[in-house]
Amino acid sequence: MTAIDPTTSLIAETPRIPRRWLVYMGRAVLAVALVLAWEAGAQSFGSVFFAHPVDVVKRIGEIAASGQLLTDIIATLRVSAFGFVIGCSVGLLLPFLLRHSERWTAAIEPYVMASQGIPKYALAPWLILWFGIGDTPKVVIVTLMVVYIVFITTFAGIRSVDQRLINMARIAGASETAVSREVIWNSLLPFFFSGLKVAMPRAVSACIVGEFLVSTDGVGHYIEHARELSDTTGVFAGIVVATALVLAINMIVEFLERRALRWRPVERDMEI
Amino acid sequence: MGDGAFLEIRNLGKRFPQRQGREPSPWVIKDLSFTVKEGEFVTIIGPSGAGKSTLLNMIAQIDVATAGEIVFQGSTIMTADPKAMRPGLDRRIGYVTQDDNLMPWRTALDNVLFALEVQGRLDDKSREHAAMLMNAVGLSGYEKYYPHELSGGMRKRAALIRTLVYDPPIILMDEPFASVDAQTRTQLQEDLLRLWSLGRKTIVFVTHDIAEAIALGDRALVLTRQPTRIAGEHMIPIPRPRNVKDIFALEGFAALYERIRAQVQ
Repeated sequence: MTAIDPTTSLIAETPRIPRRWLVYMGRAVLAVALVLAWEAGAQSFGSVFFAHPVDVVKRIGEIAASGQLLTDIIATLRVSAFGFVIGCSVGLLLPFLLRHSERWTAAIEPYVMASQGIPKYALAPWLILWFGIGDTPKVVIVTLMVVYIVFITTFAGIRSVDQRLINMARIAGASETAVSREVIWNSLLPFFFSGLKVAMPRAVSACIVGEFLVSTDGVGHYIEHARELSDTTGVFAGIVVATALVLAINMIVEFLERRALRWRPVERDMEI
Repeated sequence: MGDGAFLEIRNLGKRFPQRQGREPSPWVIKDLSFTVKEGEFVTIIGPSGAGKSTLLNMIAQIDVATAGEIVFQGSTIMTADPKAMRPGLDRRIGYVTQDDNLMPWRTALDNVLFALEVQGRLDDKSREHAAMLMNAVGLSGYEKYYPHELSGGMRKRAALIRTLVYDPPIILMDEPFASVDAQTRTQLQEDLLRLWSLGRKTIVFVTHDIAEAIALGDRALVLTRQPTRIAGEHMIPIPRPRNVKDIFALEGFAALYERIRAQVQ
């Protein structure tokens, strides 16, 4: 009779290939599959409906070499960033101000929610009328896209703050400012970052759609210009650039999130 | 009552606001009176739901009383206006709550230093004092751990010294050791007694555990069920320093325990 050794039966073996690498391999396989599907689409529908991946890569190489890629990316990032920062600031500040008055909150909230229903892009002609054809109308649209998301997630964060922690901080002698900065800010950070991750790609998309309507440069301008010329490869190249842009910004947001929330318990299995 | 009273509760009453369309809410606490002397360790025993936390919340100024008076260090501190409440009364009232309420984004040490930080009293001397307290309760080496990385007992210790470190004249404790296992609890009780013997703070310690009330206190008050009043008062003549582990075997413990148990319903 053999005794069962509890250490071997209970503790799972360490996988031979680290989990991290399995995830990377999975991603690579998916990427290859997507490119192959794309190529298959191009083969069966023709390059007018579906640009070949190779052509798209070549095109991106060309506009990168000519400097147009950088100019367009900077233009798009400039507008997105402005709108994003304004939208974030307002979306963050407003809940902090409303926190002190339930009456004001009750009075204002339905208007905030109702104004959310306004189709932002439909405002474009009117915004151009007001602000001309510079960056401003696009910045306004991006701001409007971002502000609601940040406002709603921040408000949810503030409402979820543990009142016991606030009481504890007050008893320890914290001023209202210290309570806001320490307890409320840290409690809502996870909510705020979820909001950022939703808002950020929308800010870039809003900017690109804005550029369809009015622009002289930018990734959206490049796509729209290519569309006018029935240049499918150009449209695809623009879309790939926009996607890459969103991915890159998302990586920055996630990096910041990891740094700000390093106190959070991480489940080992979730970590990659 | 005399001038010996450090904290005096006079005919305190509490009922929560009436909800629309309901019967007037009953009195949770009614005509509750007791005094606490400076440097005294008073334990309050009450059945669950006796309004023990509500009582401490009112003393700590995070809840308003409906009737009566609370006098602390010679001045009336009770107020019926929630906006006029001064939680912790300018750091003069410390409060160790039932849940440890550590801030999950701060490390153990940073949680302990929080009060000193917001009070602008963080310097080399106070840091040294904090380190001494961390060491006294066996938290040395865990300074940089986040609360979720600590055991329940360690979190309780951190919560305890977080209040001790800024040295408020009176500390309220609301069943601080209720949610840990028996062995850890005995250890925490010994830690508390050792820390208390260093400074002899005034402590009001609420518990539902009769043995704990006897082991820790100079005097034990027994509460009735709602509406809560004082059902009885018992001096605890056990000499200090006390050994929490052996307290059951001491002469007089059993009789005292029985007398209190008869009053707790």
